[in-house]
Amino acid sequence: MAIRDLLPSIWRKDATPVRREEEAPFYTIQQEMNRMFDDFFKGFDVAPFRDSHEPFFGAIHPAVDIRENGKEIVVTAELPGLEEKDFEVLIADDALTIKGEKKETKEDKGKGYYHTERSYGYFSRVIPLPPGIDPQAVDAKYKKGILTVKLPKAEEAKSKAKRISINPE
Amino acid sequence: MEEEKKEGQKQASPVPVEQERTRNRKTYVPKVDIYEKKDAMVLLADMPGVDEKSVDVTLDKNVLTIRGTVEPKVCKEHSIYYSEYDVGDYERAFTITNEIDRNRIEAHVKNGVLKLTLPKAEEAKVKKIAVSVS
Repeated sequence: MAIRDLLPSIWRKDATPVRREEEAPFYTIQQEMNRMFDDFFKGFDVAPFRDSHEPFFGAIHPAVDIRENGKEIVVTAELPGLEEKDFEVLIADDALTIKGEKKETKEDKGKGYYHTERSYGYFSRVIPLPPGIDPQAVDAKYKKGILTVKLPKAEEAKSKAKRISINPE
Repeated sequence: MEEEKKEGQKQASPVPVEQERTRNRKTYVPKVDIYEKKDAMVLLADMPGVDEKSVDVTLDKNVLTIRGTVEPKVCKEHSIYYSEYDVGDYERAFTITNEIDRNRIEAHVKNGVLKLTLPKAEEAKVKKIAVSVS
């Protein structure tokens, strides 16, 4: 089964799904109710874009943005403090997988350890893709702690909407 | 009700921010690790999107402030399909003691992580006192 069938579709045109961690608290009661139901049922299913084969506890969950235009899809993820070699970017026909591990710096921390807030560990996100991505032309960059994956659309996908001329009878 | 906090994502700074800001931008509190080495304290701050030009470290009396500026994403060509994070500036202040040698503080930025090395002042280092025979 295609991964896309299992995951909620993000490719609907009608609304841009925006999910922010710091969103306003009093949005509407309706919103909150919906979220509670979603959270409840999410447990039986997979969380959006998470690779279900990988361990979840203790893992970090990088924030992802996806933008698109006629030519390409651009996925960006905030992942500070990694090296290029720590990433694994996999592309299948219908999904992009970003995984890796944020390792703790191996430095002599001694006994006087003070304070820790940053998270380390394994991460994996699966982003369902619409058909028509050219896997050969996918390009990934890691700069300033942000991973950018550019997924150009294949020629046939660009010209999918073919204009049909209407001929007079 | 507060949104579920996910590991590895930045958090917005509490509202209201203690200082008046001259720019209408979101501010984030970078997550930090602080640890002690033999001769220095090390501070690591996760600030995705900043580089060595856009980060600013100031020391005023006892307050060490780190600030990072991230230009908002320009997306004229692309439309957003799905969004989990927003960009904004980073700001956080720390109070340091006299045990830090203020003249030798070093800062490096690599892959969105600011690393501050705060060397201990000579007088704060552990000294071994020789016991003399009386």
